[in-house]
Amino acid sequence: MSILAVALKYLRARFVASALTAVSIALGISLVVASALLARGIKESFIAGATDYNLMVGAKGSPAQLVLGVVFRMDLATPNIEYTSYQQLQQDPRVEVAVPVGVGDAYQGFRYVATNSAYFASFPWRRRTFKLAEGRFFADDPPSAPTYEVLLGAEAAGSTGLRMGDRFYEGEEMAEYPLTVVGILQPTHSADDRAIFLSLSSYWGMNEVARGMTVKPLTAVLIRPKRMSDVPSLHRELNVSAETQAVLPSGVLLTIFNMMAVAEEVLTMILAIVAIIVLLYVFVSMYSATLERRREIATMRALGARRATVLGIVLVESIALATVGGVGGIVGGHAVAYAAGLLLERSGLVTNPLLFNVIELAVLAGVILLGALAGLLPAVLAYRTEVAENLAPLS
Amino acid sequence: MSTGSAVVLHEVKKAFPLHGGLDLEVLDVEHLELPAGSCTVLRGRSGSGKTTLLNLIAGIATPSGGTIHVGDTDVFALSEARRDRFRGAQVGYVFQTFNLLSALSALENVMLAMTFSDAVPKRRQRQRASDLLARLGLAERLAHKPHQLSRGEQQRVTIARALANSPALILADEPCASLDARTAGEVFATFLAVCRQEGKTLLLVSHDEDALGGADRVLDMAELNRAGARTGTA
Repeated sequence: MSILAVALKYLRARFVASALTAVSIALGISLVVASALLARGIKESFIAGATDYNLMVGAKGSPAQLVLGVVFRMDLATPNIEYTSYQQLQQDPRVEVAVPVGVGDAYQGFRYVATNSAYFASFPWRRRTFKLAEGRFFADDPPSAPTYEVLLGAEAAGSTGLRMGDRFYEGEEMAEYPLTVVGILQPTHSADDRAIFLSLSSYWGMNEVARGMTVKPLTAVLIRPKRMSDVPSLHRELNVSAETQAVLPSGVLLTIFNMMAVAEEVLTMILAIVAIIVLLYVFVSMYSATLERRREIATMRALGARRATVLGIVLVESIALATVGGVGGIVGGHAVAYAAGLLLERSGLVTNPLLFNVIELAVLAGVILLGALAGLLPAVLAYRTEVAENLAPLS
Repeated sequence: MSTGSAVVLHEVKKAFPLHGGLDLEVLDVEHLELPAGSCTVLRGRSGSGKTTLLNLIAGIATPSGGTIHVGDTDVFALSEARRDRFRGAQVGYVFQTFNLLSALSALENVMLAMTFSDAVPKRRQRQRASDLLARLGLAERLAHKPHQLSRGEQQRVTIARALANSPALILADEPCASLDARTAGEVFATFLAVCRQEGKTLLLVSHDEDALGGADRVLDMAELNRAGARTGTA
């Protein structure tokens, strides 16, 4: 029998206490891992969603509201700008791609996003590509003859149950303008998975106010300049207007990340406290277990076990508990992040909580090290157990 | 040490420090030899130093003075780690309170003793433990945990554990004291028979008539322990 086998048998003999200790470690580590995964996922989701375009033009107001509303559909949509703004930008020689976007109401909680085919086009600089799971993209129809065709994001299709060819509307007042599903997108792991895309003409046609307007409304225009050196001049010129503002999405992200950093600091402190509590729990568990079996430790010593051997048995026990708890915590952390990710998706942020990060190995190593540290004092207690004293007949 | 002696004690003393810089001497043995293969019974009043003497011979308590030889080895000339290894291989200890490890089965408890010494090769340890337990009438109890065994069975496991490494010397501290008379008689008879068959040197603390009758020699702590005579405890 090896020392490892003896240690594992001891753990199994006090199964409930061992399991509770491992579960408490796992819970603590789950929190750490889930927080790290979500923080990383949220950041990546922000970056992936907002950095394809260098500029975003919308109505005057909060830059963060504009980015969050248009890219992530998280906030209330900003007031409208005129469609002519888009037409002017499209003609600007410094602009490579301009994409009009209108963010409208929602169907069963899934936002209507009006745009044109440029939104889905592939460019070398685009992080995201749009692929069809079924059907086709909607047509760039003229305002005079809207087709009321829609393209569903993957989650919007899955959750609403809409299928190819289905016609739908929300509210009796919209019964005159039923929309027809002509395509379903493959998952993009972004807020677009929760969107119902339609053409600008259909968007205007559905809206009573927009129908009567000569100059049609838009929520924003996404801009990719030909040269990065043109960004400052475009930004400056577009901000001169009294009605529109130009926003650098990366700058807004920086603001958001700075706000997140404060929360992350608080979270780190909370996680540090959790780690200390877990450490103390392992320590108390191992210490009381060692105290309880001083007689058995003395017996092992009487049978020829060296001090280092009994120290090793106690250390192996605490390391084994930490390892089981650590692995459980990493798995649990991914599960918690997955569940939290589902909630976040409703806010337009799509994380990828199942992605394993090599840093988690470092977390596991850290947990094992802390487990060994927590077991060190009980192990020293075992090491220092005096044989004759602890083998005295029980009274 | 004398040829043919399994254990030789010479001027062995054991004292415990008291408050105020004083020492309480509990054991003072001028000379004691145990012939190899003999069975010696040690008897005496409670607190007369019997267990202390056994612990000293096993090397689990340190004498205040004197020398203890087990075989040709001066036990306390060894470093602690080597003494542990030596004890594991050369001394079997049967405790009054069994001291079986609760987490381990009967078989594993016996194998545990072999884990701490190189006396039995790893591949033979399971078979050896199994054979010993079968010999002591526990072939059907190998997988049982201590709490699933009767007291007599637990003591048999303890005996098997003491014999596991085939040590030359077996020390037994009132091995049958916590058993009823009938069980004690059976256990002791088996114990003595196995030790005799294997030519072990047995030093036994007991007041049991069966033990006294089966011994080659009976030593009285009152005569052996000079410290006891001085303090009146022996």
